[in-house]
Amino acid sequence: MPAQTMLDKIWDAHLVRQSDGDPDILYIDMHYVHEVTSPQAFDGLRLHDRPVRRPDRTLATMDHNVPTWTRSRPSTDEIAVAQMDALARNCAEFGISLYDLHHVRQGIVHVIGPDLGITQPGMTIVCGDSHTSTHGAFGSLAFGIGTSEVEHVLATQCLRQTKPRAMEVRVEGATAPGITAKDIILSIIGAIGVDGAVGHVIEYRGEAIERLSMEGRMTVCNMSIEAGARAGMIAPDETTFEYLRGRPHAPKGTDFDDAVARWKVLAGDADARFDRTVTLDAAAIAPHVTWGTNPGMVAPVDGYVPDPSDITAEVDRQSATRALEYMGLEPGTAIEEIAVDRVFIGSCTNARLDDLRSAAGVVRGRRVHPGVRAMVVPGSTLVKQQAEAEGLDQVFREAGFDWREAGCSMCLGMNPDILQPGERCASTSNRNFEGRQGKGGRTHLVSPPMAAAAAVAGHFVDIRDWA
Amino acid sequence: MEKLRGRVWKYGPNINTDVIIPGRYCHITDPKELARYCMADLDTEFIKKIKPGDIVVAGGNFGCGSSREVAPLSIKASGIGGVVAPSFARIFYRNAINIGFPIFESAAAYEQIDEGDEVEIDPDTGTIHDLTKGTEYKAAAFPEFLQTIMSRGGLRGYAEEELARQSAS
Repeated sequence: MPAQTMLDKIWDAHLVRQSDGDPDILYIDMHYVHEVTSPQAFDGLRLHDRPVRRPDRTLATMDHNVPTWTRSRPSTDEIAVAQMDALARNCAEFGISLYDLHHVRQGIVHVIGPDLGITQPGMTIVCGDSHTSTHGAFGSLAFGIGTSEVEHVLATQCLRQTKPRAMEVRVEGATAPGITAKDIILSIIGAIGVDGAVGHVIEYRGEAIERLSMEGRMTVCNMSIEAGARAGMIAPDETTFEYLRGRPHAPKGTDFDDAVARWKVLAGDADARFDRTVTLDAAAIAPHVTWGTNPGMVAPVDGYVPDPSDITAEVDRQSATRALEYMGLEPGTAIEEIAVDRVFIGSCTNARLDDLRSAAGVVRGRRVHPGVRAMVVPGSTLVKQQAEAEGLDQVFREAGFDWREAGCSMCLGMNPDILQPGERCASTSNRNFEGRQGKGGRTHLVSPPMAAAAAVAGHFVDIRDWA
Repeated sequence: MEKLRGRVWKYGPNINTDVIIPGRYCHITDPKELARYCMADLDTEFIKKIKPGDIVVAGGNFGCGSSREVAPLSIKASGIGGVVAPSFARIFYRNAINIGFPIFESAAAYEQIDEGDEVEIDPDTGTIHDLTKGTEYKAAAFPEFLQTIMSRGGLRGYAEEELARQSAS
């Protein structure tokens, strides 16, 4: 057999049917569902009197538009309530487990799946959400799908897919102190562009990737989609196995040892060939801050807002000009001079316990700048409880942060947590698109420690100076 | 499939699904209502100025970002006949096919067709004819199975027909 990449191995293991001319039919191990992209899919099933093929391989939660201010009173957001009610009805009717608003396991779908040990190496995983790429951190093939395919997977537990090409992104050497997984992925997207991996699955490799915690690996894989990749993945290793050991849905006892033996052979063969390879030097990565309106418009914190007139390609020059106009930034401005109005620590990219710990470490004993409104939205109710058990909520509250209930919140402006027009936000989320956090809102993507430091200083600062 | 013919509206590269249909409208299910907010955060005049059958020609990586199927759905519902771009983000590409909305990949068409040009597109052959300039471009033809999905009006129609065909044989 020819040498195989991890993508090849997982793909082959899930082939239901392969025929000339048609894309392959893949079996899907796990299907995560949330309230926003599923209602029409369930309607489709109902219309044609179809059951869900594998309710036991389907799990639903409420995250996108849940209120984060309080759970003790009914939500006044009629649209959100209607979507949450619809999901509850659909899950009851079709026999699907649901972690609803008041369930202790509720949270952002890409936080709870790994946290509960449901996401495991070697799986195929889909969800009606582009950040499904997060789960690839465990050495699974995980990608986002649209509502038609959500319906298709609910009905068949399969998906017809053309196999993507394999791209290797190597991050060689070790990162400097203060550099996070967020800085690594922002620098990768800055290097290859927001279309740099279209049609590919990225496998991240190299020392800097191997050194990352599972939380860090999830941050990296989460933003694969921002480089245009179908998915991102990292070979499972001892870090992966230790993370999974003892989690509620992970195998137990000798079953766990058997599973580890299976997971160990998922890594790509040493001589496997990738369609493309990109290599970055980890030591050269600085804390990163986006200045524009896509995640590829990014600069090191000790850098400057670029001057569009320096950009030779006309299309890129026009994009940069429009971005600076939207962002209200002058070319040549030092990144550290950019003042912020709001700080958002949250999202499926950066709202896990490790993220909150690293932000709290910066905030401890300091105060949020008087001109800044800052909030922390834990990625799940369990993360919130764990953080509270460690006293992190007190650290944030005493510094002047809002401490919220779990959900997607201000990452995507589907609940009342939004920016006002013109407001500038340091955000640990994944997209700085125009209007993403609220119409006219200006988003700068950063790591949790960088967001925390900006909240305190009132402007971006180089976190390396605070160590 | 019938030929598409209309006037071109042109946009840059990396048009993301958040500007095609912002999150605050993603709960909408009625296509007519969705159409009202199509391109809301990209071009506020969009829905007022387009006519049924018009064509969007845009830069590469069109439809990047979120997996929201309402993005291609809102464009389809707006009356736009199809989108031409050098490349499409993969989830958008599949979503468009799955709802039966025609999209065409051509870098040359994006480079040379100007806003306001009248174009005619033959979905069966992928031929894009700029009637204003008298030029012609060939989009990469869809693989056969994608053409079949399109001609069945989307993924559900396709899957149902496949199942019927297999149980008959």
